[in-house]
Amino acid sequence: MNRRKAIGGILAFAGIGVASVTGFNFFYGTSNRGKLKNYLNLLSEIVDVIIPPTDTPGAKEANVHEYIVAYMESCSSNKEFNSFYNGLHNLQDTCLSNYNTSFENCTKQQKTTVLESLDVTYDATSFLAKVDTKIRGRSFFNILKSLTIEGYCTSELGATKFLAYAPVPASYKAITTLQPNQKAWATK
Amino acid sequence: MKNQTKINTFDAIVVGSGISGGWAAKELTEGGLKTLVLERGGDAEFTTSSKHPWEFTHRTHLTKEELAERPIQSSHCNATDKHFYVKDTEHPYIQEKPYKWIRGYQVGGRSITWGRQSYRFSDLDFEANKKDGFGVDWPIRYADLKEWYDYVEDYVGISGSSESIPHLPDGVFLPPIPMNAVEKHLKESIHKEYSDRTLINGRVANLTAYKKGRGQCMYRNLCSRGCPFSGYFSSNSSTLVDAYNSGKLTLRENSIVKEVLYDKETKKAIGVTIIDAITKKEMNYYAKIIFLNASAIATASILLNSVSETFPNGLGNSSLQVGHNLMDHAVNAGTYGTFNGLLDKYYEGRSPGTIYIPRFQNLNPKTENNDFIRGYGIQGKGSRENWESKTTTGIGVSLKAQLQSPGKWKISLGGRGEVLPDYNNKISLEHNNLDQWGLPLVKVHFEYGANEKAMMEHMTKTSEELLKKAGFENVGSYRNNPPPGSTVHEMGTARMGNDPKTSVLNKYNQMHDVKNVFITDGSCMTSSACQNPSLTYMAITARACKFAIDQFKTNQL
Repeated sequence: MNRRKAIGGILAFAGIGVASVTGFNFFYGTSNRGKLKNYLNLLSEIVDVIIPPTDTPGAKEANVHEYIVAYMESCSSNKEFNSFYNGLHNLQDTCLSNYNTSFENCTKQQKTTVLESLDVTYDATSFLAKVDTKIRGRSFFNILKSLTIEGYCTSELGATKFLAYAPVPASYKAITTLQPNQKAWATK
Repeated sequence: MKNQTKINTFDAIVVGSGISGGWAAKELTEGGLKTLVLERGGDAEFTTSSKHPWEFTHRTHLTKEELAERPIQSSHCNATDKHFYVKDTEHPYIQEKPYKWIRGYQVGGRSITWGRQSYRFSDLDFEANKKDGFGVDWPIRYADLKEWYDYVEDYVGISGSSESIPHLPDGVFLPPIPMNAVEKHLKESIHKEYSDRTLINGRVANLTAYKKGRGQCMYRNLCSRGCPFSGYFSSNSSTLVDAYNSGKLTLRENSIVKEVLYDKETKKAIGVTIIDAITKKEMNYYAKIIFLNASAIATASILLNSVSETFPNGLGNSSLQVGHNLMDHAVNAGTYGTFNGLLDKYYEGRSPGTIYIPRFQNLNPKTENNDFIRGYGIQGKGSRENWESKTTTGIGVSLKAQLQSPGKWKISLGGRGEVLPDYNNKISLEHNNLDQWGLPLVKVHFEYGANEKAMMEHMTKTSEELLKKAGFENVGSYRNNPPPGSTVHEMGTARMGNDPKTSVLNKYNQMHDVKNVFITDGSCMTSSACQNPSLTYMAITARACKFAIDQFKTNQL
């Protein structure tokens, strides 16, 4: 737990440091937008830790990293993009300074530790977090996790192998009894 | 008349192919009239209706470019149905105060994207203006419309339950879409906690049984993309098809109506001038009957742009009421809550149905409310949380387990309140600010009054109270009230009335000033009630068409 906190602290400070050095353009510019494709491999490793393969496919096999890049390139606001782009860099920096290697080359345990540390530093419901979101936009990990979940659950593998997907239900049974281990419907 | 030929002359012209225009097309053609329907958009292409979620590159998200093109429409559409909404950049208008004008320019108009909620008005609604003095009296009562509601419902296919509620008359219903476990729970709680309130199955224009030429609802809940099974009512699935099959229909797409042409000798409208949306060329079409069904704001703007020696303020506007009394339903952004029970219950299929709490205020002295006059109803839906709505913790295997199982039950509720007619809420034309076709931009001025604000406050508090009493947790509301227009129920810009001095249309939706022009879209509404209005537009249209056909056949138009 202490280690998580420590890493979280490093990340937070690193974020501020980058912001102050590069200033306004770093946060509001669009120049990095085309570069995200270079991080496909890193992202595929990250999403596979967030949603790993088990008896159902993992996020990497479901190509969630490609969705994240497509979303970030075309749909994200500049604020969101830069927060995400910075976050990826900080993540790599953290791995390099803590483990002397890139995220891709970390052990499974190290990867998990780094990502979990990010998850616990952010409580989206806290007052400060809400203020923070309003001013700076969603945090890196908030964006990363929600896009990973969305990308996975709406992917063909995620919807059909991990969840229950019925494209044309044809009938509506308003009240059924939930069976043991019954999967949630992929679409509402 | 000048340039009149067989090719450009019809018995009737209908402007607009949406929910009311489709009905005018069906009734007039089936009545034997050679009818031209003018639609300003192009074909409605159901390109996304059978796509899987993973076939959308950005899932439901609009890209930055698409958002920039649709700063207003984007609150009502996403990547799966954006093609049924206009690009605001191509079709600008002026908001004096925030007002959302949500539009779809295509054959079928917004009948493709409507919410399909279908409730009758009653005399509580038709008599309201007369009783409290806001607006003018309706020239019709429920008795005038009842047989037309029957007729329309039978054709449209409304699933619903008979409830014997005097101010929300029963209709011709298909079997209701049943309530799920949590919806039933809320219903039971309301019946236990309140003597003045009830919760019923939403009445929705989705087919729960087969109808001629149309398939049953497949419970995909993808209605806003257009239904390939014709499982819900739209102009495209029904009225336009029948109009076409009559052999009397001519449909001209990409036809922006610039003005209605008036002949001061005969004191009648003789036709319309259109601008081809693509070539931008003007041309005239002629007919003995004109039905304006372009939707409230667009219809009023056509009238205001139809200036002549006789009508310097716009066609049929001797009352100076055209464009005024704009209404939309007052809506709070929504109340939600989660329910930590019934966890062994689930459902199969995706219901397009809803639950409905009919108006329960100011029905009689016993239900009088001191905060506001008239009232609101509450619509809602219950479901179980899934990956989209679940709060999750952690990552990895434990996250997967959380995502894979159904979450708690939740319900969301939204009030829909009556907006009083107010002369100050209006649209007008900006003649020094033109669109790409050279037409003046529409300017909308709309503000909620004290009555609507009190109602919105009340509906939010009431919705929270209903859920809390039913044992819901995390009950809360989005207290950022959406701007007017958000309900997409614009009405009232050419109201009906008995007195030509204070209204634009008579009891048959005929212009007081110009007898062969009929208006049966939302413009005609004298008050808004709190029920979704489309069903009433359809009934009023069918009724006005019957009158117009009779008049046509006896040479009175």
